[in-house]
Amino acid sequence: MTARIPRRLSATAAAYVVCAALFAFATIHSSSFASAGHVRQLLVFASFIGFAGLGETLVILGGGLDLSVPWLMALGGMQLSIWSAGGMPSGLAIVLLLAIGAAIGLVNGLGVTLLRIPPIIMTIGTGALVEGYLMKVGLNSSSAVTAPKAAQTLVENRVAGIPLVALVWIGAAIVTWWVLKRTVFGRSLYATGANEAVARLAGTRVVAVRVTTYAASGAAAAFAGILLAGYIGQAYLAMGAPYLFSSIAAVAIGGASVLGGSGSYWGTVAGAGTLTILAALLPTFNLSNAALNIVYGLVILLAVGASRIARRGAG
Amino acid sequence: MSAVATPAERATRATGVSLGRLPRGQWGTVLLLVALVVADVAVQPNLADVDQIGLLLQTALPAVLLAAAQTLAVLSRGVDLSVGSVMVTTNVLVATKLGGIEGSHMWAIVPIVAVGVAAGLVNGALIAYGGLEPFVATLASWAIFNGVALLILPTDGGAVPTTITNLVIGKVGPIPSPYVCVAVVLAFWWFLRRSPLGVRILAVGSDESRAFLNGIDVRRTKLWVYGMSGLIAGLAGIYLAGATSSGTPAAGDGFLLPSLAAVVIGGTSLAGGRGGIGLSVMGVLVLTFITDLVTNLQLPSWVAIVANAAMLLLVVSIRSLPNVLSRKETP
Repeated sequence: MTARIPRRLSATAAAYVVCAALFAFATIHSSSFASAGHVRQLLVFASFIGFAGLGETLVILGGGLDLSVPWLMALGGMQLSIWSAGGMPSGLAIVLLLAIGAAIGLVNGLGVTLLRIPPIIMTIGTGALVEGYLMKVGLNSSSAVTAPKAAQTLVENRVAGIPLVALVWIGAAIVTWWVLKRTVFGRSLYATGANEAVARLAGTRVVAVRVTTYAASGAAAAFAGILLAGYIGQAYLAMGAPYLFSSIAAVAIGGASVLGGSGSYWGTVAGAGTLTILAALLPTFNLSNAALNIVYGLVILLAVGASRIARRGAG
Repeated sequence: MSAVATPAERATRATGVSLGRLPRGQWGTVLLLVALVVADVAVQPNLADVDQIGLLLQTALPAVLLAAAQTLAVLSRGVDLSVGSVMVTTNVLVATKLGGIEGSHMWAIVPIVAVGVAAGLVNGALIAYGGLEPFVATLASWAIFNGVALLILPTDGGAVPTTITNLVIGKVGPIPSPYVCVAVVLAFWWFLRRSPLGVRILAVGSDESRAFLNGIDVRRTKLWVYGMSGLIAGLAGIYLAGATSSGTPAAGDGFLLPSLAAVVIGGTSLAGGRGGIGLSVMGVLVLTFITDLVTNLQLPSWVAIVANAAMLLLVVSIRSLPNVLSRKETP
């Protein structure tokens, strides 16, 4: 063996190999797949999973899990639409919603750390409370509200040919990478996820670290909901539902351990890309949503297997 | 505690632990359920009727079965995210393959039950022999079985044989069949808990490496756990087909999080090894009666969702309170 590759890097690399292979295959099958217009569209789609999966990555790295993502997405999209219809400036509404998302995430984090409620249960609970609120504000799953111009601008506008949302996403990914790699918080997060008791004994502020990840997840999910509403042009209660699965699937495909302590956001970016390419690829084979589900499942198994082999080779 | 124990000692300890620690949580759940039933009957006196309660049980039964399936996975310190999708897979099989078959041809149900078992065994094999985390393995199979269900039946529809519908809405002697179904679930758990397999499941869930050191075949036990989980989830799909008289391929996801909530409200520990299906049945009934109470009070439907969530958070907070207080200085 040549020089050892760090374990985390190789698991991430495996995710990119899966993603790139799929893209190459799709391009061979249909040359228009790699056209600028189509890639732009893929980037926009991927960014929804990317943001929903950003917070999920941080939470999972810390040994937790956030199942409230779909409802926070619906909250982001619907509340923005409602406030904008009521005359609130969209910029202010977006900032407020990020804060509210973070606050709900904070509640999740405090429940998990201080009340010692299992993350699955805590986030199901707060998610359902948000769902109840959204039903209360008078909108059931069948009705929809129109998304404001600002959210549509985020998704539709381009800078130098690249969708604005993709630039924001890349920016967020770089910031996340920097925070995870270069800050005390990042190192503490990996330590907490790897072994909470040891991290605590080593003086890591475990509670603060974990609470922060849930707050970040809340804000990121609300932002993903805002983007999604901007893309669809409207917001409705069930809009976040598919992201319960895809936010976690992107992290798993990205090579992170669901037990915490190992993984990277770049992996999740590849996971989001993989899920998005598959969703775009299968219809070109006249395959339905049913086949997409099956392929999603198989790809998770494949990617998890690949990252295991990569780790074994590197370790 | 000694690190070495014979399998028999280990077995008694495993059951001893579960029996010794259960009552506190169990009685809390029982009291909660009784209080809710009393409140519900006070609001809606018509409910105090065998048939009325039977109808309520009938609506709750798919959730009861899924919670039972989930409980087995959780007891072994795992989780089964695929319970809802296994349910819809057998559900659409009933709706598409059995439509024209009546009466004595009901043996055709056997292969459909086997599909549920096979689905569970796939999970079990991935987890026990593939070495995947239960969360990841069933995350994948969640998507796969949802896809299979959609492949078999793309939209709601199909036809369900009247034999199955009659089984669901009918009576066994004087007793409405939902009672019998719940009784069968409870009896299944009663026997399982006392069987060597049940003891092994609890032992694996409470401490896997110790169970292994005591000669328990951990892998085979897990294979059994997920196989049984698939069996029960598959039966839930058949029941759902009978209750709704149609196939509903997209209904599975809505059942997933409630199945976990019911397990936890009942008092089964997500850390594995402690709890039981009986508790989870009560957990489902707690959620069912809260929803029914809200409906009977003529409150809007969002109140039921908020009340269920609040109950979940309240119950787990109260349960974890002793933990929090005893370890006050650590965080």
